[in-house]
Amino acid sequence: MNGQSLELTAAPPARHIPGDLAMWCFILAELAVFGVFFLVYGVYRRQQPALFAEGQSHLALLLPTLNTLLLIAGSACMVAAVKRFALDRQAAARRALLLAMVFGSGFLLCKLYELAGKFMAGISLSSNDFWMFYLSLTVFHFLHVVLGMVIVAAVWWMARDGRYGPGRLDGVETAAAYWHMVDLVWLVLFALVYVAR
Amino acid sequence: MSASFTKSTARNIFYGGSVFFFLIFLGLTVDTTLAVPSHNAKAQLTDAAVRGKKIWETRNCAGCHTLLGEGAFFAPELGNVYVRRGPEFIKGWMKAMPTNVPGRRQMPQFNLNDAQLDDLVAFLKYSSQINTNNWPPNIEG
Amino acid sequence: MSNATVAALPASKATVNDQIKYRSQAVAKPYFVAAIGLFIGQILFGLIIGLQYFKGDFLFPAIPFGTARMVHTNLLIVWLLFGFMGAGYFLIPEECERELYSPKLAIITFWVFLVAGALTILGYLGLPYNVLAHLTGNDLLPTMGRGYLEQPLITKVGIVLVALSFLFNLSMTLLSGRKTSISIVMMLGLWGLAIFFLFSFVNPNNLVLDKYFWWWVVHLWVEGVWELIMGAMLAFVLVKVTGVDREIIEKWLYLIIAMTLITGIIGTGHHYFWIGTPGYWQLLGSVFSALEPVPFFMMTVFAFNMVKRRRREHPNQAATLWALGTGVMSFLGAGVWGFLGTLSVVNYYTHGTQLTAAHGHMAFYGAYAMVVLTMISYTMPLLRGREANSAAAQKLEKTAFWVMTLAIVGITLSLTAAAVTQVSLQRLSAAPLSFMETQQHIMPMYWARFGFGLCFFTGLMMYVTSFFVTGKRES
Repeated sequence: MNGQSLELTAAPPARHIPGDLAMWCFILAELAVFGVFFLVYGVYRRQQPALFAEGQSHLALLLPTLNTLLLIAGSACMVAAVKRFALDRQAAARRALLLAMVFGSGFLLCKLYELAGKFMAGISLSSNDFWMFYLSLTVFHFLHVVLGMVIVAAVWWMARDGRYGPGRLDGVETAAAYWHMVDLVWLVLFALVYVAR
Repeated sequence: MSASFTKSTARNIFYGGSVFFFLIFLGLTVDTTLAVPSHNAKAQLTDAAVRGKKIWETRNCAGCHTLLGEGAFFAPELGNVYVRRGPEFIKGWMKAMPTNVPGRRQMPQFNLNDAQLDDLVAFLKYSSQINTNNWPPNIEG
Repeated sequence: MSNATVAALPASKATVNDQIKYRSQAVAKPYFVAAIGLFIGQILFGLIIGLQYFKGDFLFPAIPFGTARMVHTNLLIVWLLFGFMGAGYFLIPEECERELYSPKLAIITFWVFLVAGALTILGYLGLPYNVLAHLTGNDLLPTMGRGYLEQPLITKVGIVLVALSFLFNLSMTLLSGRKTSISIVMMLGLWGLAIFFLFSFVNPNNLVLDKYFWWWVVHLWVEGVWELIMGAMLAFVLVKVTGVDREIIEKWLYLIIAMTLITGIIGTGHHYFWIGTPGYWQLLGSVFSALEPVPFFMMTVFAFNMVKRRRREHPNQAATLWALGTGVMSFLGAGVWGFLGTLSVVNYYTHGTQLTAAHGHMAFYGAYAMVVLTMISYTMPLLRGREANSAAAQKLEKTAFWVMTLAIVGITLSLTAAAVTQVSLQRLSAAPLSFMETQQHIMPMYWARFGFGLCFFTGLMMYVTSFFVTGKRES
């Protein structure tokens, strides 16, 4: 993709990729990191099924399920924001961005509550292999949600002077693409670490 | 396929990504620094071992040897030499150098006195007590 | 800049050099000359230690292996630093479109660095290391005796002062000049280099933490900030020799170095598997460093793409060859050979073997030696008053490129074969041999490595000779 994309002007007009190519490279790198993480998780879990089952039995499902819904709601808000900017409905679009951040904050609060409980119970990265994966994956993802919110906040801030509108959507689409990636990773993480027992 | 690709987005990803991952690295560094003592609960960093570490450094031992696999690859691993050979062998070996066997690799004579040799052995003992997650694979290092 | 400082330039050859845009860029020349001189020294000591691998008592006790290796690695670092500094003094004024803030300071800094470097090497060779340590204040703040950071305390302080003078000079130039992405990335890299060097003063008694923070210099240099310097230098030369639009080159530069730091910072963890650090580094180090080849691959694709899309035929074909070579060899050395031993399950068996040496040789040459040589190849003709060297000189330089590069491939393959033997006999075998017994089985590989080392030295001599080929039949 690296090389050819530069010569696009010569290519016939084809499908449009929303957002910036640089962000897609970043997203690919992030997905690769998480992908390798999940793969290694699978290998370790195969080797120590009892340990992982025992660890998972300490994980409540209610809060993570709520968190899943919150992130998906955030994603929906990002879609709405892009659509509204495309129609030049500036105020409504910015409201959608704000709402996405509210949902994101909700996710972060729930997650913090869950993680705090684990830390109080004396669980650390060095406890055992299951908790090593649990903490590194969830904290790493948590920080991605934070980063996603920073990006959305930046878009919200820059949108105040009408920078985004019909035909000028790259910035919003780029932010939305990142948010969807964070959402996608959570769905896999939720299924793999919390649900699949 | 078509997509925009702007320098400003690439630049923001560079700055944002670098700061983001460096902050994570800092967080992990804090965790590691806090976890190192309990992870290495068996390693006794005595005063003699601290003095021995200075001898290790000022004789440039890592110019030929590895210690926990780091250093130069000209001479044997010494992280576990305390276990492999024992204290008396190490001291005797240091005193007997160089062997002057023609063609063989030569180790210099460092003229350490008995107290210094004891300190060096204490350092190597400490090194052998470090929790290396079961490295090396066998006693030969 | 005042007229007095302009007069301080080494401009005794009063004829105006119209190949360089700013007179003060000429300060780069002594840096490049010193870099090549020290490079020759590095290779000579490399030959000594290469020989000592199979003829153990060679030059003993005059120059023991440990001393010669220290000279070999320290000269490597110092000549690369000279190369980076020369590149900085050439690149920053050109990008900023103004004269250097103080050419005089640059020349003073050059002599201070060269004399300090030479005295340090003489100290290594002329004094027992512990005496050198004692004389230079190591008892006050012990920092010596750790790989690559063997320099006496006063030398380390000197390096910091030299770096500050250099960075002050360039930063002042940048602040009042045009700010391009290439110059900003170069400055970020150089500042990072200086800042992470400060960790060479951190040497806790706890061996685990000592090793942990040692890598903050070594890894965060070569797999972190140095790659910014390398990327900026490569981008600069590509802009010049291909004529491709700066915007395109700069956005790829940002994307590549973004990938470098995203993978490389936590990739430091691949050094934290077996040194007494918690087990989770095996997971984190493996995951992130598995992706470290990606930016190197992007760099290769980038270099070839830019050359393919070139808008002009630059007469300096040798510089283009070096630039492409940097892309390929850094990917092979840092990317592929780095990956070979980076996963913790593999590294468990390869850690501390000749595989590290194999990777180190190709990566240092492919990434850093070659990018400095790229820069020298592009700038030296300009600094000597011509757009490019004569066809005869370029032909010799290109031959030298191939001899040196193929010699490094030979060295790397010999050491990789040595590593395979070492791992199988000493680590994997059911009845493992001792280290020294294993070494006896590796002797043929060490002979081969030395042979390729001689080839490399021949290539280097050809390279140096190419500077003296005038080629009267200039077209």
